Amino acid sequence: MLSQKAWSPYVAGIVIGLLQIPAFLIIETALGASSSYVTVGGLIASWFDPAALKIGYVARHVAINGKNWWQVALVGGVAIGAFLSMKMSGARRHAISPIWQRALGSASPAKRYAVAFFGGFIMLFGARIADGCTSGHGLSGMAQLAVGSTVAVAAMFIGGIATATLVLRRI
Amino acid sequence: MSVTLAVAVGILMGIVFGFALEKSRVFEPGIIVGQMQLRNFTMLKVFLAAVATGAVVLAVLNGFGYVKLAPKPALYAADIVGGLILGAGISLAGACPGTTLAQIGAGYRDALFTLIGGLCGAVAYSYAEPTLSKTFLGQGGGKLIFSDLAGIPYWIGALILAAAIVIILVALESWRPWRPELGNNVDGDVASPQGASQTNIRIVPAE
Repeated sequence: MLSQKAWSPYVAGIVIGLLQIPAFLIIETALGASSSYVTVGGLIASWFDPAALKIGYVARHVAINGKNWWQVALVGGVAIGAFLSMKMSGARRHAISPIWQRALGSASPAKRYAVAFFGGFIMLFGARIADGCTSGHGLSGMAQLAVGSTVAVAAMFIGGIATATLVLRRI
Repeated sequence: MSVTLAVAVGILMGIVFGFALEKSRVFEPGIIVGQMQLRNFTMLKVFLAAVATGAVVLAVLNGFGYVKLAPKPALYAADIVGGLILGAGISLAGACPGTTLAQIGAGYRDALFTLIGGLCGAVAYSYAEPTLSKTFLGQGGGKLIFSDLAGIPYWIGALILAAAIVIILVALESWRPWRPELGNNVDGDVASPQGASQTNIRIVPAE
């Protein structure tokens, strides 16, 4: 099982959904990922600009408490888990997925890195405006029947489909 | 609860999360961009299966009174504007904020740039937040959930959602079976030269 390269998406989805049990019972929060970027980014920013901590939003996110740092640990654990899974199955990856050459119409790693940086930038800027991402609004918000989260997920797919269709090339 | 315990729980949960993201291949740029180009439905399958499972879990935990729900407030303008920008970022990054870390763990080097870009985006938003929260993006209501609107208990609404998702997934799977969508190298790349060469091998006549 652990040495397989791929699981059924349904099995994997069930495993991810079951993670709501420890999240709600132990941490008393829902699965999420994007606030951890504010916790880590805000902390790093405060080393260069101590005044950043005077912004209430930053102060709330970098505060040493269970919820903030649980989520940082969670996304760190995601990297560890994916690494272990890849090692156990031997599904080694190229430095850049082969789809990017077609999607960007260029084999240049520099172009891909620039697009990845820009994509990451607006991804988090948008997620923070919306107050959640695929995990917080998607997995957790929709499971809780939250109206705002459902609107956010619909907007996310509309923005994603428009960009992948109009900006990227066919993969 | 102590921060140390929360971090330990977070790392363990993250390892399970990362395993499931890697095994499902939903962290692959080919799967995510493929979903957004409506050529590959693996992402939707994993996502909906996780939502349905979460709904059943929370129906039980909340229905029996073990946990309180924690839905985010409905800020429609922010949800729409933020969601659109987030979606555009997901397509260009070929990742979500969580799967970026799975890509790094699995060895995609460009994901490091996604991560750094994401941290910069989060910091940029943090500096803008005091201003933005005073605009139309800060306008909105309370923690609205559909079951309250329908006048039914949450647990019934959650089970209805889960049942609806199961029906959608059964239909989706019969329309698009999951295995062929992963491609030869389980990266969602179904149009690569590797795939084409295998086709060629098949059509070359034996001597």
